[in-house]
Amino acid sequence: MNAENFQTSRCITLNILRYNPQDKASEPRLQSYALEAADGMTLFIALNELREHQDPTLQFDFVCRAGICGSCAMMVNGRPRLACRTLIADLPDESTLTPLPFFALIGDLSVNTGKWMRGMSERLQTWLHAKEAEPDLERIEERMAPETAEAIYELDRCIECGCCVAACGTAQMRPDFVGAVGFGKIARFRIDPRDTRDDDDYFELIGDDAGVFGCMSLLACHDMCPKALPLKTQIAFLRRKMALVA
Amino acid sequence: MKTRITDVLVIGGGLAGLRAAIGAAKRGHEVMVLSLVPPKRSHSAAAQGGMQASLANVIKGQGDTEDIHFEDTVRGSDWGADQVVARMFVHTAPKAVRELAAWGTPWSRVKSGDREVIINNEKVTITERDAAEGLIAQRDFGGTKKWRTCYVSDGTGHAMLFTVSDQAIAQGITVEERCEALALIHDGERCYGAVARNLMTGELFACLARATVIATGGAGRLYRVTTNAVICEGMGHALALETGVAALGNMEAVQFHPTGIFPAGILVTEGCRGDGGLLRDAEGHRFMPDYEPEKKELASRDVVSRRMEEHIRKGLGVDSRFGPHLWLDITQLGRRHIEHNLREVKEICAYFLGIDPAEKWIPVRPAQHYTMGGVRTRHTGESPYLKGLFAAGEAACWDLHGFNRLGGNSVAETVVAGMIVGETAADFCDDPENDRAAPIALAREFVRREEAKLLALLQSNGEENAFKLCTEMQEIMTRCVGIFRTADGLQDGVSHLQRLLQRSRHIGVRSKTRGSNPELVAAYRVRRMLKLALTIAYGAYQRTESRGAHFREDFPARNDRDWLKRTLAFWPQETEEEATLPRLEYEALNVNEMELPPGWRGYGAKNHIEHPDTAERQFAVERTRNHVQLAGGDRFALQQELMPYLDKLPARLQGRNERLDEPL
Amino acid sequence: MPTSVFIVQSDLVEHPRKSRWPARLDLLQSGTGLALALFMWGHMFFVASILLGKTTMWSITRMFEGYFFFGGAYPRLVSGVAAGILLLFVLHALLAMRKFPGDYRQYRKMRAHVKAMRHEDSTLWIWQVYTGFALFFLASAHLYQMLAWPQNIGPYASSDRMWSDGLWPFYLVMLLAVEVHGGIGLYRLAMKWNWPKFSRNFLKKLKWALTGFFLLLGLMTLGAYMKIGFEHQARYGERYQPADLPLWLQELAPEGDFPRRNPPAEDAP
Repeated sequence: MNAENFQTSRCITLNILRYNPQDKASEPRLQSYALEAADGMTLFIALNELREHQDPTLQFDFVCRAGICGSCAMMVNGRPRLACRTLIADLPDESTLTPLPFFALIGDLSVNTGKWMRGMSERLQTWLHAKEAEPDLERIEERMAPETAEAIYELDRCIECGCCVAACGTAQMRPDFVGAVGFGKIARFRIDPRDTRDDDDYFELIGDDAGVFGCMSLLACHDMCPKALPLKTQIAFLRRKMALVA
Repeated sequence: MKTRITDVLVIGGGLAGLRAAIGAAKRGHEVMVLSLVPPKRSHSAAAQGGMQASLANVIKGQGDTEDIHFEDTVRGSDWGADQVVARMFVHTAPKAVRELAAWGTPWSRVKSGDREVIINNEKVTITERDAAEGLIAQRDFGGTKKWRTCYVSDGTGHAMLFTVSDQAIAQGITVEERCEALALIHDGERCYGAVARNLMTGELFACLARATVIATGGAGRLYRVTTNAVICEGMGHALALETGVAALGNMEAVQFHPTGIFPAGILVTEGCRGDGGLLRDAEGHRFMPDYEPEKKELASRDVVSRRMEEHIRKGLGVDSRFGPHLWLDITQLGRRHIEHNLREVKEICAYFLGIDPAEKWIPVRPAQHYTMGGVRTRHTGESPYLKGLFAAGEAACWDLHGFNRLGGNSVAETVVAGMIVGETAADFCDDPENDRAAPIALAREFVRREEAKLLALLQSNGEENAFKLCTEMQEIMTRCVGIFRTADGLQDGVSHLQRLLQRSRHIGVRSKTRGSNPELVAAYRVRRMLKLALTIAYGAYQRTESRGAHFREDFPARNDRDWLKRTLAFWPQETEEEATLPRLEYEALNVNEMELPPGWRGYGAKNHIEHPDTAERQFAVERTRNHVQLAGGDRFALQQELMPYLDKLPARLQGRNERLDEPL
Repeated sequence: MPTSVFIVQSDLVEHPRKSRWPARLDLLQSGTGLALALFMWGHMFFVASILLGKTTMWSITRMFEGYFFFGGAYPRLVSGVAAGILLLFVLHALLAMRKFPGDYRQYRKMRAHVKAMRHEDSTLWIWQVYTGFALFFLASAHLYQMLAWPQNIGPYASSDRMWSDGLWPFYLVMLLAVEVHGGIGLYRLAMKWNWPKFSRNFLKKLKWALTGFFLLLGLMTLGAYMKIGFEHQARYGERYQPADLPLWLQELAPEGDFPRRNPPAEDAP
């Protein structure tokens, strides 16, 4: 039928950054692995195969392997991506995998996004600041316009994978930058009618050079977001609102 | 030895664990959470479809009450559920949804007026009430009489998990990320916490706690094809099992989800069928109405999965190089609906299959999905065998799901169980009866023991490869302990698994580092997984009947007479290192205390063997019903007469649930 | 009173408000950038008037010197504008510097990042840094020149500067830097504030189109001055005197200048 049915196998090379910061003797280096590509093979399958058959010391993170949990973001040929939904078929014969920059390295391709995200959440107070401390659980819930709920979910879809921060030029130079993930969260709570905070409160969180006025609008966050969140417009919107506060 | 001391130790940072942690923290206790991964990465996030709660807001859910949710749940469980627990659950579920709404979950809302939906492959216009405008919406799910599943588009679990996780951050709850519990610290009577290992550094430390909560989710990774995340390896189950004291309940009850993407096993939500998606075979024929004329695609999961496999066995599956599969067709839902309400499905199809589900059918085949079995607990979430040990969520068997869980009841259970166990664990800590001095020597002994095991693994010259053993186990489980089970297959499976367990005592690891070492992790986990696999396979072998998801071809009928009982599995303690089989005990369910006596589920086969007490109980229930009705009692009065349960709930959860048609 | 001290401590001192300055500075950076970019476009059109003929260019120059309004040419007016622009420019440069890499390590990191990412908008930013850096020197020099010797603008004076004074490479580099910097800057402004609300794709295309247009216009203009300068090198220093002016302009010119058909010199040095 078509050509791909005759193509039996394809050998690919993965150059993977190896480094164990815990081991004083370890130096960062690229190590090459050859591997036979199979039908429908993703980087999740490929990396596990490498670990099981070639190199048991290889470190990387996967959890859901379905593009939902955000664990497996890494730099694939220089760009941040979710490895689990990167098909080998879409990669060139030779590819380079490196850990996400910016985040603390645990080893090889594994970085500590969790710690950073928790810090970001604490700093930006990314939880709903409700009117009442204890909601009345027996009464019918407060109403919300269906469109509002949809708009909130649109921003709530962030999976904290870290791709936006890894892609961000500003974050490269400013270790204290809150990143698009942080702006996305603030934008999410800002449009939530259940949250009692106003723009003055949000200004206290993001109204500086580590926040929305440090962002240089390079938009790599927007372009690299695996969930296609509308980061460009949201950050611009926040900037306008915060500028109004000033 | 590093020792951390806390009031409540929660093992597992998913929905159940975090909600329990918040509950205990709000009661003024110090809480520490151990989590294999950052909590927001937990497998709870993968629940796409929704959470059942009888809010009765949408028109197709009008008239819904706890009663109907209760009946659906018990029928779904094939009468394996603990009915008191099911009552506690259905009563608390609306509160859980409303609490989450108040905490920020962006539940999809009702829009009043006409809208077009697809029911049974036909376009139908339904009109939502004006009074319901802006209230939380419900969608249809399998095995339910009413539209009851509350949802956030198709990212329900994600939105819920982020809400709860953010609340945990707001409460300042300590979460030790990338830390794994290796063993419970206990003296045979009381649990005192756990030995934990930091997966980044390899460091072991003792966490001493007054109450320990296992909330580690399921054990799907025992199977080759599963929708579960890679961290769902049942390590919480194993923690309890390896004490030799605590029991696991109903481990043979394993659910297979009808629509795992073929062959990767990635889940596409039941919402696809709930919203009107159809199952088709190689000829494009919609086959489910042939088997299940009443509920069709929306029978319970065990039934649909079994019918699908049955259809494939008839040679009507679609052949592919990875084996046969069937089609899930959602094209008739239209692009707009798919892109708005089933976006996750669209993304998954695009990324993993390279197809557009608005145009093409999705290849699916049932895949392991849920572990109904778990750490056996009372309705309080506490183990009857080991004081101070609690369990919640998928890791627990307080027994909400019996032998089959309804779609939408899992995330609902996580939060409800978290709400209840958070309180009961706090109660436990508040009770001076339970005060003990922190047993430092015992902790030291347990840490030393784990240390020694790890060292032995690192120094072993064994020939066995942990990854290979794991793959072999997964193959056996999928082949012998899958959807269709027979005595021969199960016997074969059990003996294979026993051999694997023996072989696992000779694992050698190539990488000798004590720090972060994925191979070492695989090595110590696979031994535990094999023990769990054996409890499942052996339990399935012993259970000579079919119930819910447990289907024996050689015993196709549900047998209430002999098997209306819960399996309890213990790992023999004295011979822990030599044993290759669990010790099984059985706990009978009391028909005479059931609010809903056993009967036909309303779908699936009509061939069960009655329990001797059933007829009498049915009569008693009818009589009570008539009495209460004559006396002018309402549904609450009737329920109270049949099976009181309210006093078992924490006081703040006892109040009634307001509905549009049922004001307080 | 002890109570008041307590109140002050708990309520006011505890939560100092976040400074409003970063916001204002960011706004100011955007504002000065926008002003400079718009000025540059206007400036380019005026300079390009040479393509329409020396007389047109002469008239426009004179217009800015107030010749048609104040009854005589006052090049100091141009100095004034130059001073204003210089002020804007310095302000913009100072503000923009906050976003520059702070040291070599940061610069290396940023460059490696941009190179690895192969992401257009990020790559454009590093070009904005390069061109911005170049403009520190080029624009400062040019502005100082205009500030100090505003009289040296005119069809011949400018052309001589290009050719006989050998400044054309300076202007070529500056042209490239300004157009690239301004074009990217305006595009980024639109992204930054999400206004005007056209699609990003369209704005990106528009940006390239405008940059291309102004570069082309600039190169043609530069070429024209160089050609005039080359032809005029023998008479270096001589000022242009229009042989004729459209009637309406003659009427605006200081009384007596044109009826006598004896227009004033471009300006004596």
